[in-house]
Amino acid sequence: MNNRRKNRIADKAFQVWGIACTFIGLVLLVIFIGDILIDGLGRLSWDFITALPSRRPESAGIWTAMMGTAWVLVFTTIISFPLGVAAGIYLEEYAKKSHLANLLEINISNLAGVPSIIYGLLGLEIFVRVMNLGPSVLAGSLTLSLLILPIVIVATRESIKAVPGSIKEASFALGATKWQTIRNQVLPASFGGILTGVILALSRAIGETAPLIVIGALAYVPFAPKSPMDEFSVLPIQIFNWVSRPQQGFITNAAAAIIILLLITLVMNGIAVYFRNRWQKKMKW
Amino acid sequence: MMTHLEKELSKLKQSILEMMDLAKFQLKKSEEAFINSDFKLAKEITRNEKRMNAMELSIDLDCENILALFQPVATDLRFVISMLKINSDLERIGDYADGIADYVLEMDEAISSDAINATEVGEMFHITLSMLTDISTALNDEDTSLARKVYKKDAELNSLNSMASQTIRKFIKKDPDATRSLLFLFSVIRKLERVGDHIKNIAENAVFYIEAEIMKHKKLQKDPNKKEK
Amino acid sequence: MIALMELKEEGYKKNDHESRSFKLEASHVDVWYGQFHALKNVSMGMTANHVTALIGPSGCGKSTFLRLFNRMNDYIDEFRMEGEIRLDGFKIYGKKIEVEQLRKDVGMVFQKPNPFPKSIFENVAYGLKIQGITNKKFISEKVETALKQSDLWGEVKDNLKKSALALSGGQQQRVCIARTLAVEPSVILMDEPTSSLDPISTARIEELIFQLKEKYTIVIVTHNMQQAGRVSDNTAFFYLGELVEHGKTKQIFTNPKHERTENYISGRFG
Repeated sequence: MNNRRKNRIADKAFQVWGIACTFIGLVLLVIFIGDILIDGLGRLSWDFITALPSRRPESAGIWTAMMGTAWVLVFTTIISFPLGVAAGIYLEEYAKKSHLANLLEINISNLAGVPSIIYGLLGLEIFVRVMNLGPSVLAGSLTLSLLILPIVIVATRESIKAVPGSIKEASFALGATKWQTIRNQVLPASFGGILTGVILALSRAIGETAPLIVIGALAYVPFAPKSPMDEFSVLPIQIFNWVSRPQQGFITNAAAAIIILLLITLVMNGIAVYFRNRWQKKMKW
Repeated sequence: MMTHLEKELSKLKQSILEMMDLAKFQLKKSEEAFINSDFKLAKEITRNEKRMNAMELSIDLDCENILALFQPVATDLRFVISMLKINSDLERIGDYADGIADYVLEMDEAISSDAINATEVGEMFHITLSMLTDISTALNDEDTSLARKVYKKDAELNSLNSMASQTIRKFIKKDPDATRSLLFLFSVIRKLERVGDHIKNIAENAVFYIEAEIMKHKKLQKDPNKKEK
Repeated sequence: MIALMELKEEGYKKNDHESRSFKLEASHVDVWYGQFHALKNVSMGMTANHVTALIGPSGCGKSTFLRLFNRMNDYIDEFRMEGEIRLDGFKIYGKKIEVEQLRKDVGMVFQKPNPFPKSIFENVAYGLKIQGITNKKFISEKVETALKQSDLWGEVKDNLKKSALALSGGQQQRVCIARTLAVEPSVILMDEPTSSLDPISTARIEELIFQLKEKYTIVIVTHNMQQAGRVSDNTAFFYLGELVEHGKTKQIFTNPKHERTENYISGRFG
């Protein structure tokens, strides 16, 4: 009898402990968001969004930072999406299974864990100085592309791996070439997974601060970029900048900007989840 | 549209019906040969006997193949088993017809028409031939009540056979010189009785596969009309 | 690169019928996967418009042997083959052979139904589209014919846009068969096509195979001996990589020449 009772107590104890752990995380998150909302919700307005930064908190806005974020996002997508997906396809489908290929695989996974500031230093040297692009949107996008490239490659490879080999076999058995099989069967089947991976990688990219600071994205930019060679700022940097100011008004601004950034991240993740669900429904293996 | 197995079973049935036609043909010719002492006809019967033997082997092989390749069950299984047995009965009927033909070839004198009439051997031929016709129809149409009628008809043959025995004895007493031909007549009557037995077996097997009813060693049943067929 | 078709045409002009007596032929074939000797000196021929069943216990090499004829073993690492494989008398292993052409003439149906995650129509049309055919009417007709031939048209004709994955297992397998037929091969290889299906679907596909053999040469691997009995004209029994016996199915099932064959068929081992 004693054992049974002990077991049941242990079972209940674990349940309680599990709930507590979950709740602590949730509660902290709720507190954090709540605090931000209290601080910043009032400040949100159309003016706030469209105003340019200024020395006076009441008239400062996030327009340039948002535009900067938008430009960087677009260019990062244009660069990293085709590169990452193509590299992923090549590595998964064409590269021969050899020691070299294994080495490559390990290294790419490791790259995803390299601290982002390292990428910033790399970008500074190569894009800003050697290639003479200066602290431009293009340099920033290239740097961020490097950062998220390993993530895109891994996501592509995993999605392709998830396509059952039987589908490829069926395609080959009908007389399709390797490329026909990839183009007509593997890619469409893995596309949802790839898209999800890319969107998640991008939503991480727009939250990156350190590498962009290193390459010289400015904290105080009075204009929105009009070409990829223009200087720029992004939302995280703007938030960082405001938080370091003493005036209370800027703290409020920072809170409001954080809300905007969170919203963007939420929306992007939401889109990713939507696509993943649609894709999973289609591919009922 | 018939399945592969159904086609094979249908072919098997057709083969049996063909063999049955051949048996009937042999028997009819043997009657003619015997009554008319027709040598040529007797020789033709002997030639056809080879054909019957070949058909028997071929049908046996077909049954074996169906069992090995398809492992039939239920009605299909009973069908194949019945056809296997009917095949053997038909071959024996053919043998008997051939035996009668052999007598024709050995006979060197005609048999007295009085004896023929008295033993009613003509009637026996008629009965066996009509039994064969009927069982062929019964098999083709899967008509078990007709099969049962055929089964019963055999009793008539048996009674004619036992009376014939008496009759032949009388004739031998009257005319001992004709003993050899009278004994031939007796043998032919005997053979016809056997043919009747075999047709009765065929009827039994037909009822077995259609209704899964075993008539053998039982009293004759009334027409039950219980199964769907 | 000389396409198989062109090679065949040249051959038809030169040769007469002697090298074409078998539709498919293997001569002294050995197969290794690395060190593993999967097939040992196998020689056999398969007649056109007949169904040949390959039977034997698991791992005996029958699937390996089947896949030699459309070169699907090429994708396995460390696959090595010696000997000759011929289709219509012409060797199909050789530097000049275009594998894609070969596979249009030799189709394959797999054990687990593997329709593409697309509509029924797209599945069946795939083989045609990858050949570059774009004429919509032509494709539609071929799809309809193929679905009729594989006994599925009646069930799906009203909704060809439905996803093939929404069909039942037996229907999916018939989509796969239609997909293979649409390309109009002359040979169909089947690797245990009904082993993942229920008995009724299995019976339907067996009937289908019986009808298809009028136009196609069929080779079917099956681990179900009774299926071999029901469906095939000729049977080949493999054991541990060797071809033990090959002959008419009727003969093998009623009077096999080798004791091993008899033991396997009567279920005494394997």
